[in-house]
Parts: sequence; structure tokens; C-alpha cells
Amino acid sequence: MSALDHDVSRPAVRAAGYTVVRAGRGSFLVHRRAAVAAVALAAVLAVAVVASLCVGESFVAPTEVVRVLLGQPSPDELVVGTLRLPRLVTGLLVGAAFGVAGALIQTVARNPLASPDVIGVTHGAGAATVAAMTFGVTSYTALPYVSVGGGLAAAALVYLFAWRKGLSASRFVLIGIGISVALGSLSRLFLTKGDYLVAQQAKVWLTGSLNGRGYEQAAPLATALLLLVVPLLWAAQARRGVSLDDDTATALGIRLDRVRLGLSAIGVVLASVATGAAGPVDFVALLAPQIARRLARTEQPPLVCSALTGALVVVVADLLARRLFSPIELPVGVFTALVGAPYLMWLLIRTRSRSGGTA
Amino acid sequence: MSGVARRRVGWISAAALLLLVAVAASLAIGSRQISLTEVYDALLHGGTSDNAQVVRSLRVPRTVIGVMVGAALAVAGTVLQGITRNPIAEPGILGISQGASLGVVCAIAFFGVHTLTGYVWFAFAGAAAAAVCVYAVASGGRGGASPVKLALAGAAMNAFIASVVSAIVTTNARALDEFRFWDVGSLSGRDATIAGQTWPFLALGLLLVLAMARGLDALALGDDVARGLGRNVALLRLAGTAGATVLTGVAVAAAGPIAFTGLAVPHIARALVGTAHRWLLPMAALLGPVMLLLSDVIGRVVFPPSEVPVSVMTALAGVPFLIALVRRKAVAA
Repeated sequence: MSALDHDVSRPAVRAAGYTVVRAGRGSFLVHRRAAVAAVALAAVLAVAVVASLCVGESFVAPTEVVRVLLGQPSPDELVVGTLRLPRLVTGLLVGAAFGVAGALIQTVARNPLASPDVIGVTHGAGAATVAAMTFGVTSYTALPYVSVGGGLAAAALVYLFAWRKGLSASRFVLIGIGISVALGSLSRLFLTKGDYLVAQQAKVWLTGSLNGRGYEQAAPLATALLLLVVPLLWAAQARRGVSLDDDTATALGIRLDRVRLGLSAIGVVLASVATGAAGPVDFVALLAPQIARRLARTEQPPLVCSALTGALVVVVADLLARRLFSPIELPVGVFTALVGAPYLMWLLIRTRSRSGGTA
Repeated sequence: MSGVARRRVGWISAAALLLLVAVAASLAIGSRQISLTEVYDALLHGGTSDNAQVVRSLRVPRTVIGVMVGAALAVAGTVLQGITRNPIAEPGILGISQGASLGVVCAIAFFGVHTLTGYVWFAFAGAAAAAVCVYAVASGGRGGASPVKLALAGAAMNAFIASVVSAIVTTNARALDEFRFWDVGSLSGRDATIAGQTWPFLALGLLLVLAMARGLDALALGDDVARGLGRNVALLRLAGTAGATVLTGVAVAAAGPIAFTGLAVPHIARALVGTAHRWLLPMAALLGPVMLLLSDVIGRVVFPPSEVPVSVMTALAGVPFLIALVRRKAVAA
């Protein structure tokens, strides 16, 4: 028996731990622990947001930050509202998008090691962007489109090869890795071909950075997230079926292949657009869903908690990236793993063996 | 002999034959084409012609290191996929080779070491440190080092170390300029000294891993079954991690990080000889060098006069194989 089959034996939905919320004629299940975790994460995120707006070249009092956020007149409106807020908003959206993308892809792959990296998206975006940089495209308005195009093209390639009378989870992941590795090698090849200034710049992009990012980058991302709200509501329900084995799902009338395709496609779009905005901010999509799953104690990575965790990791990491070595601003991708990885390791150490199941 | 066993022996012999062909190609083909008879003469009778010099001082060390690295990566990947029961486990994703990268970056940035032979010990130290940390994290808490915890601890450690490496190279342009050439993974410029430094570790790692082939089979059935069969699961996982670490250390120290071989070769080998590790491990040890050497040879001739590094070529040449195989067969972890 492989790790992939492991959670098949467990029921996807346990009645215990869920509360039925009725709103009008509709009703839905809410995982109580996940709801509590989401509220707590949101609170911590709010603190991190205010802190991130306070700290910078000059310190702004939290009260002034809150005034600006509430739209009241304040002497610090320029620093907080015009200089710091756009970058913060981009970071929040990028983190949330990567968190959800990772959660969806880990759910489909039924593998905690899966992430948009693994199915070609980030490496496709990376290869396209590094190639463009090597051939002299450096404008931050053109590069996002190149990168989104590269990410989507790579994912399309993965689907093309992995789809064979359906989409099996293991085939999807393995072919995704294959395509990823090939594209990753291509970008490293480009890195050795260019001179080292281009290499340095490309390396920064490949690490993921929020330097100089603002509403221009946030707007497409926000649009994509808004457009994906309805698909995401579908995903939140449909993904429960993915933990069933194929026979059971068929017996229940769930078309697993389509569910897998749909869920992963949402993840692919989210990851591509987020990569376009900030580069492949390393490891957020891998770490955030696993941290969220351990906080919420759910079988599958919870979507809302993953989004909040992703946003939190990126905001905290960017704060460190801006200030730790100031005046040098490091790329945020350097710190996402420095923030997220030790926390995940700590969760792993104190976790009880029962909750150490699969993704 | 039963049909299955005959088929396995057949595939192993075919792989051995293929390895011979790959070695011959690696000795003969390059920017300077040397006929096989000349290669043979240079190896057995010496000689001082240019071709003989090229074969002895450049091609032989490169080929030997290719064989060592290929075997080490493929066997390490097989073991890691076995002990984590995860089909996408490999030295790269578990943080071990990232640890070696950190060692090399530190050597360049802080210790003023700038030679490939100097990197070797730093790479080893880094790989070992990373593996110890991964194992310590995974075995902490109740339940010990379960496959999922091991995989996740590896992924988290990989992420963490990669960040440290990025932090160093993004703030130190000179280190990046040197590190990017090591980081791409290549067999070129490696001389016999490196093979001499690393072979005892290769032998140690291979012995350790081959000795636990039956244990790996039991582990594949799940921890409870393995325990029921009288296996010490914790010991097996510790020994497996140690063996894979030593082997990965050998590979990364000798050639830099080469992705994909450690992931793909075990799957290809499994498709050919099945999941029994006493067949699977030797098959992987034969196919790893084949993949690496053939990719290296293609990399030498595809864009003359410059070479495509072997890590890039293994990915580009190996991916179609993996895709074809995965599409044809059901994947077993």
C-alpha cells in the first residue's frame, strides 16, 4: 500500500467536529476547529498588517495607520497609504493565492509534497521569464504576462500528457515533476548563459520579490481572485470527493476525473497569476496548506485557513525582507521559508501520530 | 527459473549491456572523436598521442565519476521513495542535496574555497547536517519518523536551506557568480582526485543499502505489517536515511546537484523489474549511470563547441522516457 492510498480507508467527512450552518434555505457544514483557526489566523494577520504598515524607513504610530486604513485624514497618508499599502496588498493577495493553489493541488495529488512547483506552473513561469530576461526584456510591465503565459503553457502540457482516459493523481504528479524539472533545467541553463548582472536579476525574480510591486501588479491578481470566487465555492464542496477511491466515487456518482481537473485548474490559474505578480515566491504554496491543516486538524488542507496562512507568511516575510538588512531590501522569497519552514517543523515535532496522516 | 525471474535477469543483463555501451560512448564521443580501438589502446597500452592523453586524463575520470554519481543518485532515490512511501521523494526534495549546496555556498562565500576538490568536504558536511536535522525533526513527537513526517520534514528543511542559500547569493554577487556554475550540476572539469575522495563513501552507502533490501520490501507493506514480519521499522528508516544521505553526498559533492535522475530512474527500474528491492536496487544502480552518461554524451555534442551541463541534459532527455512510462503503466510507489 502506498502513501497515496493511505487516506482512502478513512471517511472523507466526519460528522463529529462539524456544525451545520443554515442560512435561509441553504445549509452547509462548517468544521468547528477550522473556523476557530481561521478567526485566530485573521486576527494575527490583522496585527501583522498594521505592524507591516508601521515599520519602514520611518516609524508610523499604529493609531495613525488605523486612521489611514479607515479612510480618515492623517499626516502619514502619503507614507502609509501611497508607499506601503500597495505593496502590502500585493503581498496579501499573492500569499492568499499561493496558499489556496497549494491546498487545491495537494488535495488533488493526495500528496503533501505537491505544490504548483511540482506540476510545472512556477517552473514554466520561471523558464519563460528568465528566457525573456536573457533576451533583453526587463520591464516589469511586460514580464508578468510572459510569466503567466509560461505557467499556463507548462500546466497545459502537464494535463496533455497526464490525461489518459482520466486524470490519475499519481500520473498527474509524476508527469508534472518531469515537466517541471525539464523547465527548471532550462532556466538554469539560461542563467549560466547570460552575464552575471542578468543572472543576479533573474535570480531575484526566481526567488520571488515584492520590491517595486504595487496596485499595478495587485489589480490583475485581485480580478482573478474575484472571478474565481464561484469556482472556489464549488471547489470547497467538490474536493471532499477526491479523498475517496475511484470505485467508491463512481458508485456515488462523482466524476473524479472532472473534479480533479477542475480543482487543479483553479490552483494552476491562481498560482500562475500570483507568480506573474511577484515571481515564484518560494515554498508558500507548499508550506502554508500543511501548516493550516495542522492548525485546523482537518483531513484535507482547509482552503480559508490556507489562504490566511499564505498571506500571513508572505506579509511577515516581506516585513523581515524589508527591514532585517536595511537599507538593502532582500527578495521576500528568501524569507518565506525562513518564516514558514521552522514553524511547520515545530508543528511536526509536537504533532500527535494520529494527525500525521496524508494530505 | 520462473518466467518472472527470467524476465528480471533479462532486463538486468540488458541494462548491464547498455551501461557498457554508455561507457564506451562516453570514452569515445566528444568534441574530439576518438575511435574505439584507439580508446582501447590508450587504456591498455598507454601511449602519448593527444588522443591517448585526452582519453586517460579527461574522459576516464569523467566517465568514472558519471558512473559513480548515476549509481549513487538512482539508489538513493529508490531508498528514499521506499522509506517515505512517497513516489515523488528524491534527494532533492528531501533537503539533502540542498544541504550540500549550502555547504558549498559557505565554502565560497566565507571560507575562500574555490576549487572543485575543495568543495567536496563542504558538500558532504552540508548533506550530513541537513539529513541529521531532517531525521531529528521527523522522529520528534509521538509516533516517531512516519513516512509522511519524514517527507514533510524533508520538504520543510529543503525550503529552509534553500532560503539561506538564496539569502547568501542574493547579497553576495561574487559568490553567486561562482556558485551558479557549481549549482547547475555537471561532470565537466572533474578530475580523478574527486573520484578518489568519494569512492569509499559510495561503497559504504551501497553496502548499507543493499543489506537492507528485504527490509525495504517489508516497509513497503506498511509499518504494521513490517513490524509483524519481525522488522525493526525505526532502525530500517534510520539506516535507509543514513545510506541515502551518504549516497546523495557522494553524488552532489562530485557533480553538483543533479535533479531528476534520483526521481526518474527508480520509476523506470520499477516498471522493468517490479518492486522487490533485491532486484530493484541493482537495476537502479545500472540504469542511473546509463541515464547520466548518455545525457552527458548528448550534452557534449548537441551544441558544439559549448557543452550542455549533464543536469540539464538528464532532465531534457529523461523526461520523455518518464512520461512514456508513466502513461503506459500504473505507478507503484
